[in-house]
Amino acid sequence: MKDTWADIIFILITTAVLVLISNIVGYGGSIQRDLIGALLLAVIAAGGVFLARLPLLNKLPIVFWVSVLAVVLSVPGVPGAEWIVAKTKDINFLATTTPILAYAGLALGKEIEGFKKLSWRIVPICLAVSTGSFVCATLMAEIMLHLEGIF
Amino acid sequence: MDLIKNWKIHVLALLLVIIAEKIGMQKFGLVVFLPLFYALALGGILSVPKFKILSSANMERAGKFMPIAMLILMAKLGLGIGPNLHMLLNSGLALIMQEFGHFFGTLLFGLPVALLLKMKREAIGACYSIDREPNVAIIAEKFGVFSPEGRGVMGMYICGTLFGALWISILVGIIAKLGIFHPYALAMGAGIGSASMMAAATGSIIASFPADVEKIQAYAGAANLMTSVIGVYFALFISLPVTIKVYEFITGNKNTK
Repeated sequence: MKDTWADIIFILITTAVLVLISNIVGYGGSIQRDLIGALLLAVIAAGGVFLARLPLLNKLPIVFWVSVLAVVLSVPGVPGAEWIVAKTKDINFLATTTPILAYAGLALGKEIEGFKKLSWRIVPICLAVSTGSFVCATLMAEIMLHLEGIF
Repeated sequence: MDLIKNWKIHVLALLLVIIAEKIGMQKFGLVVFLPLFYALALGGILSVPKFKILSSANMERAGKFMPIAMLILMAKLGLGIGPNLHMLLNSGLALIMQEFGHFFGTLLFGLPVALLLKMKREAIGACYSIDREPNVAIIAEKFGVFSPEGRGVMGMYICGTLFGALWISILVGIIAKLGIFHPYALAMGAGIGSASMMAAATGSIIASFPADVEKIQAYAGAANLMTSVIGVYFALFISLPVTIKVYEFITGNKNTK
């Protein structure tokens, strides 16, 4: 079951507008300065979805192709990269998180019925599992970055 | 048109964004609350079925909206990688090795707690990965959703959806403030295979080290990219078999099937 292009574009533009508003309210942005940056993020995301739907490329997840496209478009020397980076750099990262987690929050209600049926024991296990993933990866990174002489 | 049919969620999302950003970042000792935390928590409260503010169709829609909206954040993170590509390539081995931390950390921290709480084979499904959608699919295919392993993975999925990002946002803020780890290492740790947890973790690290924001984004983005490429394969071919072996070794219970 695939989302239609009309829907994807609608979602990306709605999100970009909310990111813009978030950036203005929370991080001193303005429409004049940040409108193009917010729309560029939506365009890159749409480009990634397009790539992810091509034969062969569709073996890897959409998230991967959006990231790769964004990486390529930001490498110094790639035509347009300098402009894209300059236009998007004032969109605060935190401004991109708030709208997305607002939607995540609004979807939580549908999990509550399922949650009531679970044993309480799943809660401490869940917290331990997510803690483990973060802490162990950070620890490995800390050790390896030392060995590689990054800091 | 969705803007008309589901106008409630979009209006509420807009209000949540404005309110969350107006409150802004708040620090209480080691704990940092970010706008994303308020947006998620308040959104969750608004969606409680008892309040009858949102229909279940509204919530389904918000849930479908989220993964695509997330791509905007992925684009933002990706754009931070290019200018720092040189630095990231110099830390290539760290980027690979930290993935082992992500994949085995769930088992290392989760399984002891699960066994202590007397979980049976549910523990396998619950602890073998961070248990997001692709991980649920793996267990569903191997054991079925109604098996003990399936109950474990589904329970963790629901629980992680409800509490994962809220918990990570607070936990990572505290760990960052303790000053044990370098911000770059923390940033790599943020590449958890769950988009909302990744966003929450990266947000808390940036809030704690505002001077390093660009490098933190680059490392978090790169770690997340790694997880997105190898996550599913690692879970299927390494994490799951290892978790089953470790579980059976510790408990002495072989699957009798």
